[in-house]
Amino acid sequence: MIRFLIPLICLVLFFMEPVFGLFSPLNIGGELNYIVPRFLIMFLIFLTLYYDLKHAMFYGLFFGLLYDVFYIDIIGLYSFLYPAICLVASFVFKRVPRNLLTSTLLTLALLAIFEFVLYQFFLLISLTGMPLGTFLSTRLWPTMVANSIFLVMLGWVFKSVMVTQLSERDNKIGLY
Amino acid sequence: MPQLLTNKRLILLLLGVILLVALISFSLRDRSNVSLPEQIIKDAVGAGQSVFSRPAHFVTGIFDNVDSLLNTFEENQHLKTRLEEFASVQAEVKDLRSENEELNQIVGKEEDLRDYNPIQATVIARNPDQWEEKIILNRGSNQGVAENMAVMTASGLIGKVTLTTPTTSTVELISTLNPNYRVSALVVGGDEEVFGLIEGYDAERRELLLKRIDADIELKEGDQVISSGLGGIFPKGILIGTITEITIDEFGLTQLAYVKPAADFSLLNHVIIADRVMPEVDGEDNGVTGDDES
Repeated sequence: MIRFLIPLICLVLFFMEPVFGLFSPLNIGGELNYIVPRFLIMFLIFLTLYYDLKHAMFYGLFFGLLYDVFYIDIIGLYSFLYPAICLVASFVFKRVPRNLLTSTLLTLALLAIFEFVLYQFFLLISLTGMPLGTFLSTRLWPTMVANSIFLVMLGWVFKSVMVTQLSERDNKIGLY
Repeated sequence: MPQLLTNKRLILLLLGVILLVALISFSLRDRSNVSLPEQIIKDAVGAGQSVFSRPAHFVTGIFDNVDSLLNTFEENQHLKTRLEEFASVQAEVKDLRSENEELNQIVGKEEDLRDYNPIQATVIARNPDQWEEKIILNRGSNQGVAENMAVMTASGLIGKVTLTTPTTSTVELISTLNPNYRVSALVVGGDEEVFGLIEGYDAERRELLLKRIDADIELKEGDQVISSGLGGIFPKGILIGTITEITIDEFGLTQLAYVKPAADFSLLNHVIIADRVMPEVDGEDNGVTGDDES
C-alpha cells in the first residue's frame, strides 16, 4: 500500500491543479491576475532531489502525457518539459548543498523558467499575443506567489514522505 | 564511465526533442476528430476529474452564497424598483408570445431558428495553464453533444464545443484569440435588425469585436447583441453582450463595435449546451462549410 504513496500523491496533485485553476483569473483592483497551479512539477522536482531522477522522469512523462491529451491538445509539450525540468534539477543540485531552503528556492527558480519557456512556446505558435511586461506582471508574478505559498506549506511534507519512502526502499534492498 | 553516461543522456535528449517536434506538429494540425487512444485518455481523466471538481464546486457555491447574502440589502432595493416595471413587461411578453404563436400557426411555420434542446452540463476543469481559453464539460457525444454547438450560461453565450469524446467535451470560450472563431450576430434595439460577425477579442479591454457592419447604419452604445442563427449552427437569440463603443475598422469601409460580453468567463460552473432543433449546416458557425470550400 505504502509503495503506491508517491504515484497516489502525483495523481491527487494532477487532479487538484485544474480545480484550483477554476478560481483564476483573479480580479484584484480591476486587474486580472492569472494564477496557474503548478503543484505536480514542484512535487516532481522534489522527487528528483530527494528520491531519484529515474522515477521523477517517468512520472513526469506519464502525467505530462495525460496533461497534454486532456487539457491542451498539443501532445508532447508537457510530456517533454516535465522530465526535462527534472533533469535540469538533478544537474543543478549536484553543485548545491542539499537542504529544504535551497531545494525550495531551486524549485521556485525552475518553476519560473518553466513558465517562461511555456510562454515563449505559446508566443511562437501565436496562441497568445501577450507582451512580455504583461506576462511578467499578470501571469508570472501571481503564479509564483501562489505556488510558493503552496510549496512553503507542503514542501516539508513532500520531503518527509520521500525520505521515509527512500529509507524503506533501502531497507528492503538490504533484506535480499 | 560518467562521460558515456552523459553522451547517452545527450542522445536521449536529442531523440526526445525530435519526437517532441514531430508530435507537436502532428497535434497542431487542424484536427476535427480525436484518435482512439486520446479518446480513452480523455474519458478516463474526465471521470477522475469530475470526482475532484464536485467538492470544489461545493466550496465555491458556499462562497457565492455568502457573497450574495452580503449584498442582499442593496439587491433588494434595486429589485423593488424594477418589480413594477417587470409586471408590465411580463404581461406584454405573454401577449406577444401568444400572438407570435397564432401567427406562426396561420402561416404554418413549425420550426424556428430560436428553438433548441438544452443539454445541462457541469464544468469539470478549466485548462489549468490558462494560455488557451478552454473548459471541459462532463457531457459528451453519448448525451448528444456535437462539435460547434453553442455553449452558454444563464446570462449569455460563452463559447462553442470544439472536441467531443463519449463522456466529455471541450469548449473554446468566445474570449479566445483564435482568428477563425466567428459567430454570426445580430444587433437589436434600433429600428431595424443589424447583422454583423463577432470576430476576435480585445484582450486588453476584455471585449469582443463585432465586425462587418455596414458603414451607413447607425448603431447606438448600449444596444444588445444576440446570435443571429444564420451561421448555421447556433440557435437564434442567445445574448452575447452589449455594445460599448463604435468605431470604423482598419480598412475604413465597415464599422467595428466593441461588445462587452454578457456572461462572466471566470468561475464558470453550470452551463447549457444548445442543440438546435432546425437542421444544422455542417462546418463552423459562419465558417467554411463542407460544400463551399474555396
